Amino acid sequence: MKTLALPDLGEGLHEAEIVAWHVSIGDHVVADQPLVSVETEKAVVEIPAPWSGRIARLHGQPGDRVTTGSALVEYEETAASDTGTVVGALPKSEAGPSAPRPGSAGEPAPSGVKATPAVRALARKLGVELGAVAPSGPDGLVTRSDIERAARSLSEAGPPEPLRGVRRAMAGSMTRSHAEVVPATLTDEADVDVWPAGTDVTVRLVRAIVAACRAEPALNAWYDGKAVARRLHRKVDLAVAMDTGDGLFAPVLRHVEARDPADIRRGLEAMKRDVLARTVPLEELRGATITISNFGMLGGRHAALVVVPPQVAIIGAGRIAPRVTAIDGQPAVRRLLPLSLTFDHRAVTGGEAARFLAALVADLQQRE
Amino acid sequence: MPIWQGMRAAVTTIASFEITCRRFLDPEGRATGSLPAFARDPGALLPLYRSMVLTRIFDAKAISLQRTGRLGTYPSCLGQEAVGVGLASAMRPEDVLFPSYRDQPAQLWRGVSPVEILLYWGGDERGSDFAGPRRDFPISVPVGSQAPHAVGVALAMKLRGEPRVAVCCIGDGGTSKGDFYEAINLAGAMRLPAVFMVANNQWAISVPRAAQTGAQTLAQKAIAAGIPGEQVDGNDVIAVADAARRAVDAARAGAGAALIEALTYRLGDHTTVDDARRYREDSEVSRQWELEPIGRLRTYLVGMGAWTKAEEEQLLAECTAQVNAAVNAYLAMAPEPPTAMFDHLFEKLPVELAEQRQAVMAEDSDHA
Amino acid sequence: MPELSLVQAVNLALAHEMAADERVLVLGEDVGVNGGVFRATDGLQQRFGPSRVIDTPLAELLIAGMSVGLAAEGFRPVAEIQFTGFIYPCLDQIVNHASRLRNRTRGRLSCPMVLRSPCGGGVHAPEHHSESPEAMFAHVPGLRLVIPSSPSAAYGLLLAAIRDPDPVIFLEPTRLYRAVKEEVSDDGAALPLDVCFTLRDGRDLTFVAWGAMTRDVVAAADALAADGVSAAVIDVATLKPLDMTTILSSVEKTGRCIIVHEAPLTAGYGAEIAARLAEHGLTSLLAPVQRVTGYDTVMPLPRLEGRYMPGKSRILAAARRAMEFA
Repeated sequence: MKTLALPDLGEGLHEAEIVAWHVSIGDHVVADQPLVSVETEKAVVEIPAPWSGRIARLHGQPGDRVTTGSALVEYEETAASDTGTVVGALPKSEAGPSAPRPGSAGEPAPSGVKATPAVRALARKLGVELGAVAPSGPDGLVTRSDIERAARSLSEAGPPEPLRGVRRAMAGSMTRSHAEVVPATLTDEADVDVWPAGTDVTVRLVRAIVAACRAEPALNAWYDGKAVARRLHRKVDLAVAMDTGDGLFAPVLRHVEARDPADIRRGLEAMKRDVLARTVPLEELRGATITISNFGMLGGRHAALVVVPPQVAIIGAGRIAPRVTAIDGQPAVRRLLPLSLTFDHRAVTGGEAARFLAALVADLQQRE
Repeated sequence: MPIWQGMRAAVTTIASFEITCRRFLDPEGRATGSLPAFARDPGALLPLYRSMVLTRIFDAKAISLQRTGRLGTYPSCLGQEAVGVGLASAMRPEDVLFPSYRDQPAQLWRGVSPVEILLYWGGDERGSDFAGPRRDFPISVPVGSQAPHAVGVALAMKLRGEPRVAVCCIGDGGTSKGDFYEAINLAGAMRLPAVFMVANNQWAISVPRAAQTGAQTLAQKAIAAGIPGEQVDGNDVIAVADAARRAVDAARAGAGAALIEALTYRLGDHTTVDDARRYREDSEVSRQWELEPIGRLRTYLVGMGAWTKAEEEQLLAECTAQVNAAVNAYLAMAPEPPTAMFDHLFEKLPVELAEQRQAVMAEDSDHA
Repeated sequence: MPELSLVQAVNLALAHEMAADERVLVLGEDVGVNGGVFRATDGLQQRFGPSRVIDTPLAELLIAGMSVGLAAEGFRPVAEIQFTGFIYPCLDQIVNHASRLRNRTRGRLSCPMVLRSPCGGGVHAPEHHSESPEAMFAHVPGLRLVIPSSPSAAYGLLLAAIRDPDPVIFLEPTRLYRAVKEEVSDDGAALPLDVCFTLRDGRDLTFVAWGAMTRDVVAAADALAADGVSAAVIDVATLKPLDMTTILSSVEKTGRCIIVHEAPLTAGYGAEIAARLAEHGLTSLLAPVQRVTGYDTVMPLPRLEGRYMPGKSRILAAARRAMEFA
């Protein structure tokens, strides 16, 4: 405990009367801070704190007489704090980010096109896409002459045509599909040789899809990749891919499971008209549960098509053509309809797909 | 050249040395013999007394400012007032002082203002732009590094044939430094008008004088430099002033350099962030208080009838007022704009730095 | 016009300025009677007397420190440190005082001193006599750092250094002291400080160098020209403050930069130039900036010295690599 005694106030004075305390017990005082005023025969004197610290005791009340050398103020005991320096003030430690431990490697850098900044600037200036340029520099670096070469062949090709509208939308949705879907494709052929002349192929396909959806509902569903959940549909809203001068459309025929063939035909005609006239309302292009692409009307046999999420399946119908096949072990020429079923393997099993396709084939192979 | 006597030993007698230590006032303030001429009229000692008192009051205030967070690290000169005041009183305005960092007594005598000293330790370079002694060097932080400057300036004075003297202050620790040896060596080799005042306050931070060197006195280091060296009681301002006058006058007259070791004691801590109780006994400090310089001169002056209580009170009041005014002026001074970091690096700011200065200005206006 | 070596050009500049300005002093070890161990101050004491050409005791720290004092009192001291291997004791006085005196007194005192010292290797000298410490000084605010690459540059730059009102470290390439002779006119014309000199213009690549390496780089540029590669050569001359504008203009044209210095690689002055190129010239760069330098080892004794210093083959290899980035 540090004690301040009444100092010798000089001039042979032995005592003084406390006039007023300027601090209280428990106060933290700093050196030089006035502690108390005392009155001697000569004058009122202010006594400053000789040290900083916390006041523990005050000896005497105003009006009391104190003799020189007797205790006046007591400070609390404090451990002498070591500043740990002779200059300045060192900050105390704070919790902060610690240095990485050896061995903890950062993430590897994403790989990209290697080109120096000057070359990148040149590429931008000439409108050359860096990723499309074959690098000839050391370590796979794209060089200035690579850019210049690419620019020359681009200028021969003519200016780039930006995609707009439907084409642009297709580019976007195909890209998204590719990023999400895990596609697998099953193919088969339906022997439609028994079909009477004038059979409405599209309507038969629609009917067959309805039958297949009944037989194997797993392909008439929506899949939510984030939630990892699927939603089976009872209704069949069938998107029908249509090729137009403007690009690919896929308007939706609603509730085909509940419609008769004539109704379906009417619906198809109406859709085609509206699409060509560009009067299809936007809702009519949305919400399909499954898609058909009857590309066979133009040509082609089998195809691995693109599943459009949240759908899980798309059926491709190729061109009906006479082919050699085996009937009872003997070669025969029959009219065959090639079928492709591309499905999202995240939500659909091979078995489900096979059953669906078998049902599709079975329905199509009926005479009517 | 050695004088060989037979084949064995040759003794080169250069000097037999004694180191004189002088004192005129004992610790009780009694004259020990006849005083030097300048001190015989006690009135002539009053300016020395006043200056020492002012210095001590300033010093205490500076410590108090540091304790209350208004001044940075500060090295107290408590107990060493007579060394600086005695030394500086022997100088002429056209002489040049090379202070260490504990020479406030000499600097204040020389006309460095208390505001300037506070500015420097308060962290503002303007504190070294002395309005008074325009050619005095600023304080030197790397210990002893001021000694080569002093001899450089002394050489300049000698080359121009000027009747001026370079006066270098250094501590006991500083005399271990190469700077010191190289400087006194040159001073001796070239007979330069340089006076070295070694303020031996017995402590270099925590290293006691006995550990600093094997030499019995610091004054005898002068012998190796070929210059005269003597000791004085550094707490007797008359002895200090006497030795300083003799050395400075001789140097001015072309007699070359000299070294004075003033024996004193560092009554305070190394700096306000040092706690000397870690390495030295309170009892030692108490004993040294009995030898301090101001009390003994006061006793002498009062005994000679040259100083009264009333004059003492008045002096204290004046000094306190002066110091308080300086503190207020210092506290009222706003820091320089940050561009000041650039404005005095070179006579003309190089182009390369103009950008950085601009950036600082821009940052500033963001903050404003 | 006489043909002078670099050391003779230094001597000529000192003599010229001592005659023109009575404040100029020369000081150092063996500079007076002996005229300097490299004869840089030959004849000066005979001409100007021992009050202006001062033989100091053997004390480098003192030489630097007393120069601070002399300069503060209005003289123009030109101090010689016999070899840069011995300049290190001066660092305290240079860094803590010479470079700061004006700043820390807010202009009240200043320090117009020059500290000259022979630097660099390739002279079969004993240990510690082949130092290249320029990066240490380049890092000190408040200093100028100058390294001439030819006799005429030495003459003009030393005059400028002496006339400058602030401290200058003037490092003279020992290897060039006598190796080259050039016409140097004693016309008292100072070269500008704070600018780089373009010794060769070029389209394909920019060499940046200083001191003795400048000559090796010029020789490499000539060899490259024979192969159809047009290389610019920039002599930095004043390392600090750095004239980056000249370097950037050249790299803007060529897109390739090779910095050549004798001093060790890591934290050498080439790193500063490379950083500034990255900061201000990135979009001009076709190839990575290369530094051809001494290794991060101690400068070896003479037997291995030639393998340490960046020679023609390393410089040309760097140039070839830069040109791969077409």
